[in-house]
Amino acid sequence: MARIGVFVCHCGENIARTVRVKELAQKAAQIPGVVHSEDYIYMCSEPGQKKVRDAIQQKKLTGVVVAACSPQLHELTFRKACQEAGLNPYLCEMANIREQCSWVHTDREKATQKAYEHLRYIVEKVRRNRPLRPIPVPITPRVLVIGGGIAGIQAALDIADGGVPVTLVERQPSIGGNMARLSETFPTLDCAQCILTPKMVSVRQHPNIELLTYSEVEDVKGFVGNFQVTIKKKPRYVDEDLCTGCGDCAPACPSAVPNEFDRNLSWRKAIYIPFPQAVPPVYTLDPQACLNGPKLFPLACERCYQACGPKAINFNDRPKIIERKVGAIIVATGYELLNADYVKELGYGLYPDVMDGLEFERLLSASGPTGGEVVRPSDHKVPKTVVFIQCVGSRNPANGVPYCSRICCMYTAKHALLYKHKVPEGKAFIFYMDIRAGGKGYEEFIQRVMEQERITYIRGAVSKVYGLNGKLMVQGVDTLSGQRLEVAADLVVLATAMVGANSSDLVQKLRLAVDRYGFGQEAHPKLRPVETLSAGIFLAGVAQAPKDIPDTVAQASAAAGKALALVAQKTLEREPTVASVNEFTCVGCFECQKVCPYGAIERKEIRDRAGNLLKVVSTVNTGVCNGCGACVVACRNKSMDLAGFSEEQIFASLAAVTV
Amino acid sequence: MAAVRTDSERTEKGWEPKLIAFVCNWCTYAGADAAGTRRMLYSPCVRIIRFPCTGRIDPHFIVRAFEQGADGVLVSGCHPGDCHYVSGNLLARRRFAIFKALMDFLGLEPERLSFSWVSATEAGKWVEVVNSRVEALRKLGPARVPWGTLSGPPPSLNGRSVAPMPQEPLSQVKPDDYQAVESQLRQLAEGLLATGQVKAVLGYGKGSLQQATPIVITNATEANQLIFNEHCVQNLTVYLTSPSFRSLRPLGVVVKACDSKSLVGLLQEDQVKREDFRAIAVSCPGVKVNGRWADKCLSCDQRIGPIADHIVGSSEPKSTAGADPRDWEIQTIEKWAPAERWNFWMNQFSRCIRCYACRAVCPLCYCQPCIADKNRPQWIPTSPHLKGNVSWNLFRALHLAGRCIGCDECTRVCPVGIRLDLINRRLSLEVAKRFGYEPGKDPSVPPPLATYRPNDPGEFIL
Repeated sequence: MARIGVFVCHCGENIARTVRVKELAQKAAQIPGVVHSEDYIYMCSEPGQKKVRDAIQQKKLTGVVVAACSPQLHELTFRKACQEAGLNPYLCEMANIREQCSWVHTDREKATQKAYEHLRYIVEKVRRNRPLRPIPVPITPRVLVIGGGIAGIQAALDIADGGVPVTLVERQPSIGGNMARLSETFPTLDCAQCILTPKMVSVRQHPNIELLTYSEVEDVKGFVGNFQVTIKKKPRYVDEDLCTGCGDCAPACPSAVPNEFDRNLSWRKAIYIPFPQAVPPVYTLDPQACLNGPKLFPLACERCYQACGPKAINFNDRPKIIERKVGAIIVATGYELLNADYVKELGYGLYPDVMDGLEFERLLSASGPTGGEVVRPSDHKVPKTVVFIQCVGSRNPANGVPYCSRICCMYTAKHALLYKHKVPEGKAFIFYMDIRAGGKGYEEFIQRVMEQERITYIRGAVSKVYGLNGKLMVQGVDTLSGQRLEVAADLVVLATAMVGANSSDLVQKLRLAVDRYGFGQEAHPKLRPVETLSAGIFLAGVAQAPKDIPDTVAQASAAAGKALALVAQKTLEREPTVASVNEFTCVGCFECQKVCPYGAIERKEIRDRAGNLLKVVSTVNTGVCNGCGACVVACRNKSMDLAGFSEEQIFASLAAVTV
Repeated sequence: MAAVRTDSERTEKGWEPKLIAFVCNWCTYAGADAAGTRRMLYSPCVRIIRFPCTGRIDPHFIVRAFEQGADGVLVSGCHPGDCHYVSGNLLARRRFAIFKALMDFLGLEPERLSFSWVSATEAGKWVEVVNSRVEALRKLGPARVPWGTLSGPPPSLNGRSVAPMPQEPLSQVKPDDYQAVESQLRQLAEGLLATGQVKAVLGYGKGSLQQATPIVITNATEANQLIFNEHCVQNLTVYLTSPSFRSLRPLGVVVKACDSKSLVGLLQEDQVKREDFRAIAVSCPGVKVNGRWADKCLSCDQRIGPIADHIVGSSEPKSTAGADPRDWEIQTIEKWAPAERWNFWMNQFSRCIRCYACRAVCPLCYCQPCIADKNRPQWIPTSPHLKGNVSWNLFRALHLAGRCIGCDECTRVCPVGIRLDLINRRLSLEVAKRFGYEPGKDPSVPPPLATYRPNDPGEFIL
């Protein structure tokens, strides 16, 4: 026989103002099986919790119902109190009579009746609860980091320094990501390469880091603590161990294509290294660009092979499948620039001298296509007037993205400053909506650009960019003076919005929630910013939202800390509210297996003593089950059930609220 | 379990509608909490029941809520793409689309059953949805309680407003068409048994009053007991899942074009293995029930079904297929007002004596035990009272949605003539329309309610 204790909270006046709490506690005492019922002004306070603990011990309660606020708020508090008093925490539940009753109704009569019915529903549910124990799952001490930009590099280094092995997967031939493309970084004007390459080298040399470049995650199975990851290493056609990075092959190669690393502002050969400081410092043969064609065979040209001293080139290279077990995954997939029609209105793609911020970075970079000299792509002349346009696509819900890309104000100021340093006689104009310089030393940097570098800031939008007599006419408006104006520019640089680079394919494999702009959904925007809703998967850097390098590095370290904290445990305790199968009644239609999003349902053979197969039934892998209950609904004869939301509980709950 | 409120209690002056809201924990429950945090006011007539996910919400819970006196039910969860469990809401969207179609067909007022997507931030939407639902219920008045009260004589399908479908298509079928098949069938069965390719053949034999009856022959010499004629109406595949037929594997089973489709279902659901049976597909010109061509035969254009190991007779498609009279009857019912439809079906269900013949004869009703035999909890009241009758017939219809191949055996054997064929057919049409799925075609395609597409129509969701 159940012995249930009911505890009604006044929440000061919050509940008591609308719900007659004394009456509620008295009526609750009449429900069969309720042996204790009381009310108190603040149940969640220490004296309130003590009332729960005392009642459990004195009245030998087998279930506890706390009628108070939302379970999202205090269920853990009261479950903990029950556990301290020796009651299984899963025998305690909350009736939400604040958020879903007293706060949303004014009629005391109806609110009290509703609170009573709700309380009765929870009593009926608790009566049918079973004591549950968390399910222990072993944890694999290895972390997968997806993406080798600054976020992935930082996360991998932090975890590896913590003594945990890391597998770092990068899609491109070299790690470094977008940061490797940058010339100098705001607000300190450090050379990006100079601060990044030492970290890249550390990654390669770290004994705890397994670096897989030119590789992609093929498949992710399993669950927190126990992911099985399949990684495809694309054929490089160059032996990574033999290649010395001497570069003798590239001059021999007759085929040249635009260099993606330089944002197509320069050329590279079919056999190439993206940039001189690439890690690993080995060449890659791009079969799409090779004269031999995508399949390479039959071989028409093997000049690179002949030029290669150590004979590192292997035309027979094949994709390699690498399997790793990992306990946690960090997604650091970074960003891309928005490709919207809005960008085209501003002449991007139409005029070679309209470029995006990353292209201008390459133009400014000492290792870039011009060796750091600012010249127009069209005629290689030094531009005398440069117009920078901020918020291209950002903060523009109609034609672009609604959010602020956060870094453009700063890098545009930096662009203008670097341009002025290189072309002191040049003129720079910046069209802006607002200046957002909310970082350490950022406002000072903006002030310096405005005042010392004498750069013209124009508050207003640009409607159109068009070519006229070899100039780019920038039509805009100065909203401070209210005047329309037109600037004849030699070069236009667009601060294009950032969007997440999470490919839909990868998102699906990871079962990751992303918004429509490709940014990963964090578990809580404030309190759990690096965790995702999928346990064991963390976000780092711009994969979560636009951010600058300091924030990216900070978040990468945060994700590394979270991953380390996870894999530092030997075993993990999972919620025991999982599905189970009644093997006697299961008829093995496996409808449950078809609907399970986690692959938690397995087949189990039932045999007699002689070993004859009697039937095949479903069985639940409790380490994988997340307790959604889709299988229970799919099961036609209800051989499935879900702990904590069992069929009996729901039936009893329904009876309690409908009658 | 406490007693249901009586009608007089419910219709007295102080009547307030009761809306039961089934909500998912992650989106709508949090959204309702948010409404509280922002002190937004809404109707106290709603009772919120928390589920982990809309994918956990069984349509049967909704039936139960109505059965126990709810005036309306609202199901609310995460927007597509937001599901905490990846796909629970997308599976639910398919299931509830079918459930909604079923309840509409039976004549439940559409306003009583609503679905919505309310995210954790959409407190305003939650308030709006609850208030609008409660208002709609207030206008409708109390639900008919107990679930399925009879009110007056039902409309009749016999007083059809349009002339019945002509039955000419099959008038040219001659007894010879069957005899040729029958003699070939005997030869084939003899050969299969003699060579040991099958242990037994399950086919049709002579029954009383010219009827056919299922027989099993295990000896080649008995092959001449097999018959095939216009009375061979039974779907023999129902026996394939029976434990007593286990020792007869591999079993040769005589199937008509329609019966063969249920083999697809059994394979899809792992109930038989392909090597356990040989499908002896007889070329079927059509069969008769009570002296009339069966409804299913009038629109059938196939002689041989999708699974056929041995083909007896011609496999040429028929040129005589006409319109389906069941579709015509469905259209007639759908023209009626909801109250009329409800009345019609409640009268139908009121006749149910819970003999479970429909279940016994259905090849896809293979669960042992059936949900109707389960008593913890008691899913379906067992006595032949209207309340349990409604639940039973609803459950069975839902369990067959997307699976029923329309052999109409349930309707044929029903001793009280409940038009289960129309319900099953209606849901098949809905499944075909919404999900482009036809049961009994391809065993490798997942059943429609066990899968989803991200862009499935959700026009019925608020």
